[in-house]
Amino acid sequence: MYESKRLGYLFVLPFILGILAFNLFPFAASFALSFTDYPLIGSPTYIGLENYEKMVFDDDLFWKSLTVTVSFAVIVVPARLAVALFIAQVLNFKLRGINFFRAAYYLPTILGGSIAISVLWKFLFQQKGLVNIILDTVGIDPIPWLASERYAVWTIVALNTWQFGAAMVIFLAALQGVPKSLYEAAEIDGASFWQQFRNVTLPLITPVIFFNMVMQIVNCFQEFNAPYMITEGGPLYSTYFMAIYIYDEAFKYFNMGYASALSWVLFFLIVSIAGVLFWSSKYWVFYSGEKEKAR
Amino acid sequence: MSGSKTMGALPKRRLPSNAEVLRTQRRERISLALRYIILSVVGLLMLYPLFWLLGASFKSNQEIFTTIWFLPKDLTQLLDFSAYYNGWMTRTEFTFATYFLNSFLIVVPRVLVTLISCTLVAYSFARFEYPGKKFLFSIMIGTMLLPPIVLRVPQYLMFKELGMIDTYWPLILPSAFAIDTFFTFLVVQFLRGIPRDMEEAAIIDGCNALQLLWHIVVPLLKPALISVALFQFIWTMNDFIGPLIYISTVEKYPVSLALKMSMDVSGEVDWANIIAISIVALLPSLTVFFLAQRYFIEGATSSGIKG
Amino acid sequence: MASVNLEKIVKTYPNGFEAVHGVDLEVRDGEFMVFVGPSGCSKSTILRMIAGLESISGGELKIGNTVVNNLRAKERGIAMVFQNYALYPHMKVYDNMAFGLKLAGLPKQEIHERVTQAAQMLEMEHLLDRLPRQLSGGQAQRVAVGRCIVKRPEVFLFDEPLSNLDAKLRASMRVRLTELHRELRERGEPSTAIYVTHDQVEAMTMGERICVLKDGTIQQVDSPTTLYDRPVNAFVAGFIGSPEMNIHPVTVVAYDGGLGVELGDTLLPLPANFAEVLRNRIGQKVQFGIRPEHIGTPQSVLGAVQHGSLATVKGTFRLREHMGNEVYTHFDLGGHEFAARIPTDFAVEIDRAERGQPIELSFIMGKAHIFDVDTGLNITLSALPAV
Repeated sequence: MYESKRLGYLFVLPFILGILAFNLFPFAASFALSFTDYPLIGSPTYIGLENYEKMVFDDDLFWKSLTVTVSFAVIVVPARLAVALFIAQVLNFKLRGINFFRAAYYLPTILGGSIAISVLWKFLFQQKGLVNIILDTVGIDPIPWLASERYAVWTIVALNTWQFGAAMVIFLAALQGVPKSLYEAAEIDGASFWQQFRNVTLPLITPVIFFNMVMQIVNCFQEFNAPYMITEGGPLYSTYFMAIYIYDEAFKYFNMGYASALSWVLFFLIVSIAGVLFWSSKYWVFYSGEKEKAR
Repeated sequence: MSGSKTMGALPKRRLPSNAEVLRTQRRERISLALRYIILSVVGLLMLYPLFWLLGASFKSNQEIFTTIWFLPKDLTQLLDFSAYYNGWMTRTEFTFATYFLNSFLIVVPRVLVTLISCTLVAYSFARFEYPGKKFLFSIMIGTMLLPPIVLRVPQYLMFKELGMIDTYWPLILPSAFAIDTFFTFLVVQFLRGIPRDMEEAAIIDGCNALQLLWHIVVPLLKPALISVALFQFIWTMNDFIGPLIYISTVEKYPVSLALKMSMDVSGEVDWANIIAISIVALLPSLTVFFLAQRYFIEGATSSGIKG
Repeated sequence: MASVNLEKIVKTYPNGFEAVHGVDLEVRDGEFMVFVGPSGCSKSTILRMIAGLESISGGELKIGNTVVNNLRAKERGIAMVFQNYALYPHMKVYDNMAFGLKLAGLPKQEIHERVTQAAQMLEMEHLLDRLPRQLSGGQAQRVAVGRCIVKRPEVFLFDEPLSNLDAKLRASMRVRLTELHRELRERGEPSTAIYVTHDQVEAMTMGERICVLKDGTIQQVDSPTTLYDRPVNAFVAGFIGSPEMNIHPVTVVAYDGGLGVELGDTLLPLPANFAEVLRNRIGQKVQFGIRPEHIGTPQSVLGAVQHGSLATVKGTFRLREHMGNEVYTHFDLGGHEFAARIPTDFAVEIDRAERGQPIELSFIMGKAHIFDVDTGLNITLSALPAV
């Protein structure tokens, strides 16, 4: 029965339809729209590269937003990966209660995407919220987190790093997959803890590091919920992530054409970075998978 | 033998063996203690904010803004659920009863159609052979990396043409077509790990494809399907930008939009209420997580490792 | 030089389980010692304690003249070959072998010398540039051995290195390893080796001395021939040799010709020297053991008369297995199952026999052993001619 091509196509049909309707077609449409001016009332008017020109040469907000988004990703992704790997390494031991800790660290990731957490987070960083109360007890002046152009974005950074659980869980599984005998061989070879980490652990988990890195970058560039709820893109656009800019242009100001152009630039950026990562992966990612034919 | 120094020349000293045993044991114990300390401290940092916020829902504004310790000074205040009541009732014409109902009206159908469509599509990828399968599969992987933001505008326009704005259809319909490729991928990987023996026996017994799927494959897929359902439940409950774009009538707001509205409406005055209702909003996800942790973690790791 | 001395070595696990119960052993410098025993006998545990991968709960371990209980693995002067090779998958073969030397700070030139020399010895110079995943099982194992050789350790440790290879490869690797050991020793380099295996064929062919272990205690330490001819108890007797020695309960009886053992309704007369030690056991139950290779047809054993009395019996044929030059013959006698190895040339009747048919067999009684029923000790050991 499994040789029946008809049945195979039949079962995959929903996916084919869905991809065409909800992915490919919108994808192409979005590209087309980026060359138009479309204020939602009436039809789109073709304006060539005007949107892009305006974006690059005339739109300070675009550059500001782009900078915010990119620097956010540059900080958060390594931070999250480092913390996740560190905690996974600590957890990778015959500890009692390992399941409890694992669940405890994973919980924030589950809750983190919700609006409720954003509300609660906003509250933590209020002028007189928990964070400032703690700072006060150690003698540091309270920081106007949400009102300050300098500090606002760090609340979002904190929220994102708090959600290292998903990456950690994946790292933990990868660490547990490294054969113990490799560490023993390294031990006999005379490797110290750090040498073992650099020469046994790291090389063998590079695929997972790579996977996590790519997924996280793609996610960070689309950060929306937290800045929208907590800082509303401000103050003074210091948290005006590209996703918010696109949303505002499309659904607040109804500049569908410009919004499409913006989203395409963002898309292009994500794809390029992912592409560079993929290309670089052959230099540092090591797959110990299938055996190649012996010569 | 070459004249170079033999690697591994032994130092000449004698020590009784007991000291060594005790020393290693002590070293091991210190390492263990250190690990527990790190884990507890980090765990505390991670979870304390949640506890503090929980306590804040029982405190007066004044107390909230001055104390670090999460429990209210007057423990009887823990019995005072007025913040919860007020938050739930909201000062608008709808209570959170409506909003939670709306959320479920979105979540439940979406989870159901996801399960069905993902199973069908994953079944096709994992078991059948047909030209173009590899191509389709790589498209599926590719869309996992596709940032949804690019598609928002055209999708909105499309649903507008279909007259589906301000309904729940835009939120449910795409999932009926296995667009959530992460889940399809999870099920495919899971199915690939299951040997075909039982299905082949059933085929010999005369099952057709649908019978096979329903009676043999789906029961075997249970753990994966549970993971899918759980993740989709949580993600849909948390979904904000979707409803934000498509739902404009307050009466139809799901919990995520209602929370935002509560934030906008109230000023500095009603912090305890907002916190209370936010915590309540988290309860479904929390409960689901605690009941089924295992499925979450296994689902997350299997997708990450194979990927 | 490097001998290895275990004195009352004990291993107790944190849950209280004592796996190794006070083991005493001396491995001589340059010797190839094999640890063999069934799974769970703790042979790997002892090896890992010697290596420093497991802590020693009690007793003293010496390598050379130094007590090493409190030394870490890298300080003990050992090198180890693992069952699954444990090659660093992301490093080329050359780097795999050089890794330990690099960590020790040896100069590049010397590393290169040692690695190429070892590669030559193992005939794998053409593999130096490959990654482990590009190697076959046998090649990977050679690299693992090479990694040890370059370190010039005092003691080589092998943890079931051939278990993952197929039968043919195992046979050729056995020869290679043994030759390698002899070569190192002839060169005057440190060559003490301890080799763990569960395969008694490997043990017998490779070991200069074999240490048979069971449940964390040493049963016997001797050369292969001694283990074969003079097993100290029923366990060792049954473990060494393939197919297994036939061991069955019998009763000691006296008859007018002397002493014998009664197996069901068959009387097997014992040689005179055995009779001496069994005199005070008449009427008692003991265990009678005889190897399949010491059972033949009346014609095939004719040349074995010098080994003592022969006993001819009638057994009931069950099954034959053709091995080419021999026929493994399975038969029943006195209600028990026996196996015999009969040279093909003498097995004509066996070939024609049908299941249930009586066949004539001869036991070379001089090669039999009698074991105590309770302790398993070899009672007739003392009766054997002095070596």
